[in-house]
Amino acid sequence: MISLAIGALAYVTPLLLQAQNQPFAKRFEPTLVHFLMLSFLLFVVGVAGVLSRRNIIIIFMSIELILNAVNLNLIAFSRYLQINADALTRKGLVIDPLAGPVFTIFIIVVAAAEAAVGLGIVISLFRNRETVAIDEIDLLKW
Amino acid sequence: MQLQGWEAILFYVLAIGTLFMGVYVVTARLAVHSALCLISTLVNVALLFILLRAEFVAGVQILVYVGGVMVLFLFVIMLVQTRAEEEDRVKLYTGQMWPAVIVAFLLAISFFFAMQPAQLAFRPADAQAAQSSADIGQRSESGAGFVSSDTQNVGEALYTKAALPFEIASLLLLVAIVGAVLLARGTKQEKLYE
Repeated sequence: MISLAIGALAYVTPLLLQAQNQPFAKRFEPTLVHFLMLSFLLFVVGVAGVLSRRNIIIIFMSIELILNAVNLNLIAFSRYLQINADALTRKGLVIDPLAGPVFTIFIIVVAAAEAAVGLGIVISLFRNRETVAIDEIDLLKW
Repeated sequence: MQLQGWEAILFYVLAIGTLFMGVYVVTARLAVHSALCLISTLVNVALLFILLRAEFVAGVQILVYVGGVMVLFLFVIMLVQTRAEEEDRVKLYTGQMWPAVIVAFLLAISFFFAMQPAQLAFRPADAQAAQSSADIGQRSESGAGFVSSDTQNVGEALYTKAALPFEIASLLLLVAIVGAVLLARGTKQEKLYE
């Protein structure tokens, strides 16, 4: 929680300082960068969860958090490309904004498949070892 | 791309909700609490998708992710229930908790430094692009109001341009189904079929 708060604070202050010539309420309006920051903070929370929890099911849930952060990133960029399509085309950058949702759907499909197979592995692991704590599953053979 | 007015308030509400629920997923003592907070996180992210006018992906997320994957998680938590976690003496974290937190913190700081030069590039190119939070859709004739054409466009793209990945994804799901059934079958059931 603390690292999340410090990370969010460290990121928000430069945004606030940069927009000092604009009226106060307008500084807080979310742009693309706010969505990217949200996606990244979610990613970082997921990474911390994967690395530090003992229960293997909660590790799986943190992996789902990471995948959702990536989905949010893709959809935010897709919306950005949708809105600024003509301005970006004038600058020579042409990306189909439909690539965002389409790739996100494939990420969701792969996440569902991975969750199914992974939880099947967890069930058969639990049958053999009677535990789901990863630091107690430390033998390759009985 | 700038969200104005109520969209800005909604973004902040959803963002703070998502982050707090995400942190609760990682720090909860019981696995069921983690699962419920992950469901809340996924629903918040789906609402953020709707805010970004990607309604099809929001629907797919709620139906497939929340309705399928998270229910599967809850079933597995039920099958694998370890009551020992409810006692306070059981360790929740591996020995690597502090390195993990420090790595997460360092990632956040490095993201700040990495995004610093790129922030100027994401300003809207001109005033016309800046003020449009405009939806791309069409008016429906039956009087239902404004219908976004996102679902139609994504569906068309999935069946025309992205048809090959779509078929490969269905094959992947078939393999996952067969694999999950094979892995989760018990020895009692195997003896029954032999």
